[in-house]
Amino acid sequence: MAERVKTDIGTAAAALDFDAELMLRVKEGDGASFGVLLEKHRSSVVHFLYRMVQNHAVAEELAQEVFLRVYRSRSTYEPTAKFTTWLFRIATHLALNALRDGKNERLQERLDDDTSERPVRQVSDRRPSVEQFLVYQAKLDEVRRAITALPEKQRAAVLMHKYEEMEYSQIAKVLSCSESAVKSLLFRAYETLRARLAHMA
Amino acid sequence: MNCPLETRENAQLLLDYCTRKLEPESVATLERHIAICGACREFARSQRAVWEALDAWQTAPVSADFDSRLYRRIEGQVSWWDVLLRPFRPPFSTATMWRSLPAAAAACLLLMAGVLLEHRAVAPAPAPNDMAQVDSVQPEQVERTLDAMEMLNEFSHHVRTDSPDSKL
Ligand SMILES: [Zn+2]
Repeated sequence: MAERVKTDIGTAAAALDFDAELMLRVKEGDGASFGVLLEKHRSSVVHFLYRMVQNHAVAEELAQEVFLRVYRSRSTYEPTAKFTTWLFRIATHLALNALRDGKNERLQERLDDDTSERPVRQVSDRRPSVEQFLVYQAKLDEVRRAITALPEKQRAAVLMHKYEEMEYSQIAKVLSCSESAVKSLLFRAYETLRARLAHMA
Repeated sequence: MNCPLETRENAQLLLDYCTRKLEPESVATLERHIAICGACREFARSQRAVWEALDAWQTAPVSADFDSRLYRRIEGQVSWWDVLLRPFRPPFSTATMWRSLPAAAAACLLLMAGVLLEHRAVAPAPAPNDMAQVDSVQPEQVERTLDAMEMLNEFSHHVRTDSPDSKL
């Protein structure tokens, strides 16, 4: 009977998404499934957090905390939503807390401490020239400043919409608000970004 | 069609169009309007510029030792997590319970014997809270600890076989 119930839960989760099924396996004590989830979502979580806090060390530290929380919650995990919704809910919560804690930091400090991005789209197979590099850095700085200037929730919504390609309904679940509220957040955020970045075309 | 920029709700359609999230059937209608509406054309142009600017923002790869650092932290925290999370955990499934019952029973007996000896040696009559603590040493808790140890073995294996090349 217990096995039957377990199978039913597993089937429902599989219908929901494969990640949820993996998480149910973690719940049953399968450490390898945790490894699969980590491999699959490590980059997107770190990159999302990086774009939120704009500091690599802090982003990786927060991402470690995200996966620690996932692991720690394994025994109480229920696949009531998509796994990534739950994952990004934890990530967003931690990022917003980190931003609130560090509110007194000067914006300049956050932006200047990290110059690890490099031009990845090169116009030819040669290394970019110094001039190209400087142009890229200047554009990048403008993008980063524009994103940083957004209110935190708008920033999270844009990052999930743009880079994670999430649907409005999923972003709404992550941010615990209605779908129409998400649409409104995004509309205002892109309005601000258009005003600041449209000249870059 | 009316200009979508006249209302926020319809302007949303234009945004969806620019971010390639509009259903194909609405795309054709909207494109016919954009062809004759300067305001919408400007909206679409500037939104595409934003999209491309955001595209250019690539981030550095994740550190090669990210996983090993994480597994070390998990290893370091597993014992007290188990204690902290004990009250919130649901009971284990009957099947899992039966599989490890002999080990759990043996460990439980050892723990209870230890608790009783300690009480006999130093403690006066136990307060109600102490009793609750003694009662809370359950086979499930022992089994969870054994489960966690099993998972740690798997994690250790992961860390050993984890190659930095496997990551981005
Ligand atoms: Zn129009």
